[in-house]
Amino acid sequence: MNNLTSRQRKTSCVVGILVLLVPIVLLGMPASGQGEASGGVLARLRSAHDLGESDLGQIDPTSATMNLVLLGLRGVAVNMLRMDLDHYKDTKNWAELRATTEAVITLQPHYIEVWKFLAWNMSYNVSAEWDAVPDRYYWVKEGGKFSQEGTRRNQDSPELLWETGKVWGQKVGRSDEWKYFRGYFLKDPDEETYRGSVDPDVNPKQMDNYLVAKEWYSKANNAEDRHVQHIMMRALFRSYPTRSQLDYADALQREGKFTGVTVAAWQGGFDEWTGIYGAMEFKAPDCVLHMEANEDDVRQMAADNNVSEAVVQRWLKHYQNTTNYRYWRTRSQSEARAETAEAHELIFDGEQEYRKGELDSAVAKLTRGMGLFAEMLERHPDLAIEDLTAEEGMWAVLLWQKILELQQKPVPETYPLKFLWDHHQGLLGELEDRFNRLGL
Amino acid sequence: MSDEPVIQIRNLTKTYRDFWGRKKVQALNSLSLDVKKGEVFGLLGPNGSGKTTTMKLLLGLLFPTEGEISILGKPASDVSKNERIGYLPEESYLYRFLNAEETLDFYGRLFDITAEQRRRKTEELIEMVGLQQARRRQLKEYSKGMTRRIGLAQALINDPDLVLLDEPTSGLDPLGTRDMKDLILQLRDQGKTVVMCSHLLADVQDVCDRIAILYGGELKELGRVDDLLKEQKETQFITSELSDDAVAEIKAVLQKHNASLKSCGQPTSSLEELFLRTVQRSKDRPGQRYVPTAESGADSTSDASPSEETAESSS
Amino acid sequence: MSLQPVDFNLLIGATQWVIVFGSFIGVFLLVAMATSFPMYGLAGPGRVVAGALHGLGEFLSPSPRRVYAIAMLTYKESIRKKALLVFVVFAVLFMFASWFLANPSDRPDMQVRNYVAFVFIAINMLVLPVVLLLSCWGLPEDIRIRSLHTVVTKPVRRNEVVLGRILGFASVGTLILLIMSTVGYVWIQRQVSSDVDLFCRVPVYGDVTMIDRTGNPGLGVNVGDIDETRSFIEGGTRAAGVWTFPLNEKADTIRLESRFEAFRTFKGNMDRSLRVRYVLVNEAKSLRVPLPTFEVDEFGTNETEVARKQTWTDEQTLKTNEVDIYDDLAVTSDKGTYGALVVHVQCLDRSQYLGVSQGDFFIRLPDRSFATGYIKAVIGVWLKILVIVMAGVTASCFVKWPVATLLSFSVIVIGQVARGFLDKILSGKQAGGGAAESVYRLLTHMNDTATLPENPLTSTLQLFDHGLQHGLWMVKFMIPDLTSFGMSDWVARGFDVPWQGVMLPSLAVTFGYFLPCLLLGYFSLSLRELEAK
Repeated sequence: MNNLTSRQRKTSCVVGILVLLVPIVLLGMPASGQGEASGGVLARLRSAHDLGESDLGQIDPTSATMNLVLLGLRGVAVNMLRMDLDHYKDTKNWAELRATTEAVITLQPHYIEVWKFLAWNMSYNVSAEWDAVPDRYYWVKEGGKFSQEGTRRNQDSPELLWETGKVWGQKVGRSDEWKYFRGYFLKDPDEETYRGSVDPDVNPKQMDNYLVAKEWYSKANNAEDRHVQHIMMRALFRSYPTRSQLDYADALQREGKFTGVTVAAWQGGFDEWTGIYGAMEFKAPDCVLHMEANEDDVRQMAADNNVSEAVVQRWLKHYQNTTNYRYWRTRSQSEARAETAEAHELIFDGEQEYRKGELDSAVAKLTRGMGLFAEMLERHPDLAIEDLTAEEGMWAVLLWQKILELQQKPVPETYPLKFLWDHHQGLLGELEDRFNRLGL
Repeated sequence: MSDEPVIQIRNLTKTYRDFWGRKKVQALNSLSLDVKKGEVFGLLGPNGSGKTTTMKLLLGLLFPTEGEISILGKPASDVSKNERIGYLPEESYLYRFLNAEETLDFYGRLFDITAEQRRRKTEELIEMVGLQQARRRQLKEYSKGMTRRIGLAQALINDPDLVLLDEPTSGLDPLGTRDMKDLILQLRDQGKTVVMCSHLLADVQDVCDRIAILYGGELKELGRVDDLLKEQKETQFITSELSDDAVAEIKAVLQKHNASLKSCGQPTSSLEELFLRTVQRSKDRPGQRYVPTAESGADSTSDASPSEETAESSS
Repeated sequence: MSLQPVDFNLLIGATQWVIVFGSFIGVFLLVAMATSFPMYGLAGPGRVVAGALHGLGEFLSPSPRRVYAIAMLTYKESIRKKALLVFVVFAVLFMFASWFLANPSDRPDMQVRNYVAFVFIAINMLVLPVVLLLSCWGLPEDIRIRSLHTVVTKPVRRNEVVLGRILGFASVGTLILLIMSTVGYVWIQRQVSSDVDLFCRVPVYGDVTMIDRTGNPGLGVNVGDIDETRSFIEGGTRAAGVWTFPLNEKADTIRLESRFEAFRTFKGNMDRSLRVRYVLVNEAKSLRVPLPTFEVDEFGTNETEVARKQTWTDEQTLKTNEVDIYDDLAVTSDKGTYGALVVHVQCLDRSQYLGVSQGDFFIRLPDRSFATGYIKAVIGVWLKILVIVMAGVTASCFVKWPVATLLSFSVIVIGQVARGFLDKILSGKQAGGGAAESVYRLLTHMNDTATLPENPLTSTLQLFDHGLQHGLWMVKFMIPDLTSFGMSDWVARGFDVPWQGVMLPSLAVTFGYFLPCLLLGYFSLSLRELEAK
């Protein structure tokens, strides 16, 4: 044998174990999420070869080590951590909550539902608890980044990719604080870290939040080619990248930008909606169909599927109604026109002039706007029954009438949007309130 | 050897009870005996006869159910008596993670011994039990014989007046047994009192001045070894080897004196006989026990119930 | 959530200790005397007293040399039985820690909090079980393999065995703790980004009362938060939280720090947070000095420097006066050398609410170094080790090691975790009643808030629970209160560990349990036949 004493042998064993751990650390360290070159050798290789953890299965060294350490009691440990998580939420211990979130996911890196829940918890629940908007944004970002990390470790999950898109799209663009959040998305409130620019982990290309969301939705669509998603009807799921484009255009309008970029955005939206999304084939129970279809297409689909045209028509209608296909088609088509943009702008500017007290100029702008708006409705009568469009038209008329009243001028018998005004009297109460809140 | 009793046991009874207080085993029944200063006293008995129980009662490791013990003039429950006692347990109960030096140092610290004395005593004892080569090895690496030796060494660390040895020779090879027996005699020569229990009769016969034989928790025999073994109606010669002629001549002489030669050959260990005889008799007539007579050493057994007092005097 | 100051009065605690400990001993002696009658007749009580006195004599005069010998033996035993292998686990944990803890996007305060928490969780999780197992295992194993026979047949008193064991295991625990905490300290220093300051705030907490919207003393508003620590001040009304801070040293500026919670009933103005105002008040002199309004930084900290001299405009006479905090504003109080400073906290936004609790608002004295707090938190763990060792060794004096382990484990868990639950049951705040009532409710599918029907069965059950509660009440006094021992929370949140309320009760609990544990261990070991298995 050898001349070592028992103690020396044992010591060398321990040292050996520790030495062997070093390569494990070097090889297996998970990426920290700071770009491609972080983490251990395996993490970098994985990143270089675009391998997700679902490709590698359970040979993820991090979670495998943890499972070993816990002697297989992973489930029990996770349960306890989840209870802690709830407790931290109740007692508002956010740092602990964040750390526990990380611990839970270390133990369960392949449960999509866990990723989804934890990300949602931060973006929606925790963020709402904070009073300052930048703080809320921080937590929205934490949830979104967490979700991104989930997609990195489960690359083929269409659901996680979609959820990530939802945070950057819907949460940033549609919550009560959307005006702030959309601004922060391009200029992070954490001046010290990001020096007045974007958070590179979230928005490396410095794009609008909806366009970032669109990228995530597109990735989700690509993943959906290979893996089934269980969130919603497939036709709806596939519509999200284009819907993001449309939301982008809509958000620009909400911010009072009507021409230029906005028109281009609407045009792009229309092209994608009809050209890409409209051409996608979906499998209805009786037939395969695509939603952008004229009569010839319907006949063709009926022939291809060996069913009557009525069947195709029925399913087409069903799909189009479910996805709001026609509305978005008409809307984007009309908004992409310069005249429509001008109508919006005139109505918007009219309100601004009124706020400034420039009543004559306001009336002039509103009158012109109403005219263009009416023309648009003539071109696309479908839009007249849409609430948002109707509301905008009604608002323009109401404002115009009120200003005339202020100027003690009579309201003419006929005016461009009279048909809309007569038709939507039900909206009037709400709009009156809004007018009164203007407080002038 | 003086008359002064080092150990006085009166009416000692020990009953083991189970959890519910029900009687389980009667380990000792009304044992009374004295051990005198300077003698080597042997407790004999088959397994389960109560000799180890007696030893542990003496040490205060067990509490008597009835009866009293005085050891070095103090009750067994008094811890201070241990200052002058050395105890070698039956098996090695020492701390296996210590080495010989540490063991002796540790036990030395439990007594009022100065560091200097402790070091000297440790040296002395390690040499005495012959463990110089193994002094730095942990006890778990020791053989059984080595463990007995270090056990004995720790029992002597305080230079005790009374040494209690539980099966001192068990597990030792013949040489080791010889050494141990020499050591015991040496201790007696130093004026120490030794109480040992054993079932190895030859060892007991070699070193003990007096013995007590226990069976089933009762005292069956007590007395000086010589006396107990003396067959009153027989005489034994041991000679160097004789020729057949010589034997014939002796037979003739014996005939002339109206005696007969009962056996002729190598002598046997008669303690063994005595022991077996006692055990057999106890089995045949349970309840019979040793009753002291005026002159101890006589083979006097009776069916009498235990006497309240052991009126035992020295020879 | 802010840390909350704890009221602890050493004198009351000590008196309680004497009463409880004294009565236990009294009851014990009385029972012993009563049972000695049938055995020894009239001489019985005398024997009990004599035995007790003899025991007391032995108990009070342990030999340091022997105790040291046994402690050293215990120490060597633990070390040679590979107790230190725990360091391998420790090293592995720290090697992998950065995998799970490093999060580049973390805010600095969260970073520090998580690192400190991790170090202390790791130390606790590794040291405490080791110490628990060692101390519960030592004596029974000693008895089982009869090594103890060779010790107690030397002139060793049983209390020396107990004391030696306790000291031995405690020193092993101390050694492990020392090494681990040193490594932990260095690790934290290396992990935390260089731009993050590590320090310990020194808070001076005050007493708090509330003023309701009508301006009268009352309660805060409950906004339906699950966590009921904070009560809420209604904005835009006369409602206020009133803090009374003791002033113990004079300084040119007083630093006030707070971390309030904002609760909005409507979104309101999102551009800014709720506005809060401090008002320094001396009712007796009719002084009300408002400080500048600030916006609350929810879950962050609001710092305000208050100069000693304040100018103040009388609302009636419109005269501007200068006031001195110590000379004019301070109210008389026996708590502070220079009296006390009364601060009213008001929320200025109508229909919005400001959540406050006592620990949310304090005077911040000059900071101490991070090491100060860290060392104190380590002392907290150390005291916990001592309590565990004492509990373990004592338990192992009368039961075998698995039972001893379970017993001391339960004591620790109840003392640390279940204490709140215990209080809830004893104060009758736990919905669903006691054990029997709960079973009844379970079996009859009855909601825990529904009133129990009145019938003989339920009243019997409640009587039973009542009896049980009395038992529980006794248990509460016997089980150490370990809630104050977790001091790392303070350090993790950048606070120094307060002496009053945290360090002091922990020390008091540790020392309070020392004597009873030793006594119990001594008697159970003395009255026990070591040989009987």
